[in-house]
Amino acid sequence: MSFRKRNIGLSVGVDRAAVPNAPAQPAPESNPGIRPSPDDGRPTTSTGTPSLDNLLAGHAGLPMGKTLLIEENGTTDFAGALLRYYAAEGVVQEQKVHVVGVPEQWGRSLPGLIGTAESLNDKRSDKRKDEKMKIAWRYERLGEFGAGIAGSRDAPAAASPGEQDGKQQVAFCHAFDLTKRLAHPSITNMTFTPLMPSRGSPFTAVLNRLQTAIESDSPSVVHRIVIPSLLNPTMYPPDACQPEYVLQFLHGLKAVMSAYTSRVTAMITLPLSLFPRSSGLVRWMELLSDGVIELCPFPHSSDNLATSGAATSSEEPPQGMLKTHRLPVLHERGGGSDRNVGLDWAFILSRRRFEIKPFSLPPDEGDKEAQEASAPGGMPKKSDLEF
Amino acid sequence: MPSQPPLPPLLTPYLSSQPESSLTLVSSILGATSNWLVLRFLHASLSASSNSNASFGLEESHNGSKKKVVLVSFLRSWEFWRAEAKRLGLDLARLAGQKQFAFVDGLSELFCAPQAETAATIAPPNAGSPARTTLPLRPQPGAVPGRGPSSVAPVPNNSYAARSQSELGIAKKLHFSGRGIGALDALERDIALVIQQQRSTMDDSDELLLIIDQPDFLLAATGPVMGIGATEMAEWLSALQQNVHATIVTLAADSPLIHNASTSGNQMAAPVESEHAAFAISLAHRARSVMQLRTLETGAARDVSGVLRISRGGGADDSLDERELLYYIQRDGGVTVFGRGES
Amino acid sequence: MAPVNLSHRRTHNLLLISKLLSLRDTASPLTLLQDSLEQPATPLIREYIRRAKASSCNSVDQLLSKVHVTLIGLETLKQPDGVDAFVSACRKSPTDIVKEVAAVYPSSASAGPSKRRLIIIDAINPLISSKRVDAGFHLPSFLGSLIAPTSPTAKADSSLVVNYHQDVPGLPQQNPYSPSPLSMLTYLATSVITLHSFSHILARKAARDRSLVAPVFGLEEEQEGVLLGRLDKLRGTNAAEGIVLELEHRRKSGRGVLEWYILPPASRFSPQQVKEVVTLLDDNVLYNPPMEPDTNADDEEPKSTFELGLTERQRREREGGRPALL
Repeated sequence: MSFRKRNIGLSVGVDRAAVPNAPAQPAPESNPGIRPSPDDGRPTTSTGTPSLDNLLAGHAGLPMGKTLLIEENGTTDFAGALLRYYAAEGVVQEQKVHVVGVPEQWGRSLPGLIGTAESLNDKRSDKRKDEKMKIAWRYERLGEFGAGIAGSRDAPAAASPGEQDGKQQVAFCHAFDLTKRLAHPSITNMTFTPLMPSRGSPFTAVLNRLQTAIESDSPSVVHRIVIPSLLNPTMYPPDACQPEYVLQFLHGLKAVMSAYTSRVTAMITLPLSLFPRSSGLVRWMELLSDGVIELCPFPHSSDNLATSGAATSSEEPPQGMLKTHRLPVLHERGGGSDRNVGLDWAFILSRRRFEIKPFSLPPDEGDKEAQEASAPGGMPKKSDLEF
Repeated sequence: MPSQPPLPPLLTPYLSSQPESSLTLVSSILGATSNWLVLRFLHASLSASSNSNASFGLEESHNGSKKKVVLVSFLRSWEFWRAEAKRLGLDLARLAGQKQFAFVDGLSELFCAPQAETAATIAPPNAGSPARTTLPLRPQPGAVPGRGPSSVAPVPNNSYAARSQSELGIAKKLHFSGRGIGALDALERDIALVIQQQRSTMDDSDELLLIIDQPDFLLAATGPVMGIGATEMAEWLSALQQNVHATIVTLAADSPLIHNASTSGNQMAAPVESEHAAFAISLAHRARSVMQLRTLETGAARDVSGVLRISRGGGADDSLDERELLYYIQRDGGVTVFGRGES
Repeated sequence: MAPVNLSHRRTHNLLLISKLLSLRDTASPLTLLQDSLEQPATPLIREYIRRAKASSCNSVDQLLSKVHVTLIGLETLKQPDGVDAFVSACRKSPTDIVKEVAAVYPSSASAGPSKRRLIIIDAINPLISSKRVDAGFHLPSFLGSLIAPTSPTAKADSSLVVNYHQDVPGLPQQNPYSPSPLSMLTYLATSVITLHSFSHILARKAARDRSLVAPVFGLEEEQEGVLLGRLDKLRGTNAAEGIVLELEHRRKSGRGVLEWYILPPASRFSPQQVKEVVTLLDDNVLYNPPMEPDTNADDEEPKSTFELGLTERQRREREGGRPALL
């Protein structure tokens, strides 16, 4: 039957596109947390959020040596959740995680590991099996397409269940539960760099510590720099937001990224309600970052959407909009041609995942059939519809 | 979309020749960066001679005037430029070895010299001679060692710069130390030194192109608090311009950095905004051409990366045609440039 | 009445601009040019230099004596054609600039007694906003010392033309109570010429004629990534080339004159041309298209689409006839 054949062919194709631990991998050898980009083969690492990985311009992960700035409007802390996933993924991958500016309690609030990202996907698809039966078989693939935004550039699906169980520990991206606490042997490897009150720039000491830590480590160790809520006045001294301090710090961070380009990544969150995007300072912070993503949470959680009946029981209503202003590598080259840029994205944070998917206004009530078909995601590629 | 040669035909007249002592301004925004255009400038200046070198070593003189480029980059690493130029078929490392190209690194150690180094420079102000004695031991390819330093100015971190240059072979690393005009002057001397080294192997007919990638960052990261304003930056640039044939400067023209400081604005602009706007606009007044990159107003499109508007700056002559073009950057870094309505 | 007024205005104001641009009778010791990226002052400065040179070439006309042109370059890097002396002022203190400007002028012995002098500052902005210049810098005395005679015996008439970029944001005032540099300049200047792009003037007029909001260009569009809006779409068509000068002149009598002119592009006339090339904006056919020959200036009857095309007599007959019928 054509359905079966097609499925086999597909999984082979994807595996060929991005084999983990391929021999040609230029990154530190046999590191499961590093994977060559399906786009151009550069090493990437996971942000801990599969749908964020898939948003990053076809690299299916954050390219090494790049910084990602997550900005958030309002007083919610969705960006903090992304940052915790990022830190937790680093811990699980036994990378060195450096956290700047927050006390060690922050590290105790990392979400608990519940398996690989694929395993979660499988569970979820089990749950949705009944629902799936209603969908014509030719839409079968579109469901997967929606779950992983980048479609064909999605993380490689596990080849077979048996193999997956065996490789539980070598997954590229893991799934975490925000209500649980991460317990992992390498969690003690996290370092916390506090901000010391100082006469000059409060960042000088931080940058020096990061630099020495990375420099003194063996070249095979991968580092992640986590900077929660940059310039937040409860953590940072008031003059930290002087451009000569914060911009020089970000420039220095960029220098660190370029000096150890194959073994560092960084993720920074920034509260936009304190530092709006319309200010020149924030624009410079964005210009100094390789990727810029803005979260715009909906004001009253999702009440209106939930009660409107627009969302089906299985589809959680989006909690906010997500905008990509700049993507690593893509924009450095001139950018703008990725199909993920300029689209409207919505995000949903649930206990077990932070999901980013194309935003579409809910269809009219009564149009349930079309809604279920279209709910999983964006427009399929033409090739997906061809027989 | 048909693929185009490394130099898109529509852009060739703007990229290939810059009149003497002209300034070309390239402005970019967050979503439409200028690196691809800088790479095309590099290609337009360097590829001809490198090709002829590759095929016939003797044909160099046949070309008449040779072009050399000094690239100063404040936001991007040598590795980035090298890798991206390679996609265009330019071997910057080899060109640097041939003294056709020089890179000045304004990223790695601009504000944070490595600790060992700071200790060394701070501790012995009179220990210059032992440091200098180590200099000749290091292999310096082709250059006349000590020629630049002695003729231009005794730069305090001279020995360090020379050391890192031999280490990396190409990139001279800039260091910002102190404050105000003195610090800017030191940077200028360092860059002028590299320019002098290039000039030392030049014929009279050769042209030296200086590309400064985002000096506006230097202004933003120092600012009036450190005694550096738009005027000082512009003067710094003019001083550098006087050493070379033509200059290309890239800077950011994002709305918050330009329009917050506009005279019509009713709110007080932050110094980082007003200084940036003053710097960018006054450079546009000096420039012969202003190449402005931006994204499409209508939002992202599948086959358009952005819009390039080429306008005459305040220092323009009538020879420059103004144009507005669309461009598309393929995933492999190739660029297609076309007019509106074409494809 | 209007035509008479216009011809009177034309005669007087064209004479005025001619005197100002050719520096005759030292009509204006200090002229302030206000330019922007949308219309830089470069063509006008070139015109000043051209006239200074044209008058010196034209030795027949003894009234137009030689003019010595000094350009103080705060932005310009190399000496433009036609300039006698070029003072690069980049990174120099105001006192040094004054000294150098005085030094480049040939001593009164060698030059003719009536030699005039034109001093042009290509952009005053850097001087105003420089951090190098100390707080003691006093703009009026700096400008005054530039045009002051070098020695009491020298009978040099100096004119100073200062360009100011309107769109470059200034710095916050150190003394919040002192006037801003721009208001100081406009107050000191005897004539202020604001430059506009002709095509923009036409676009604004077209919008005004239709009661639409006037369009804005370049920086004023506030569009991300746009520094310059001017695109010479009309280049080569000879249509809207040239620059518009908005002149505000203070006469010796104290009266003010406000007039709009057009300076055609330099390619339209020979560099040696002595005849006035500047015209009134109101005389331009693109700005004020010629009226239909039969329309009267004082014909206040609004034209409607229901116009029957009747002559005055026919209409009077019809209007006059109606009450008789009723």
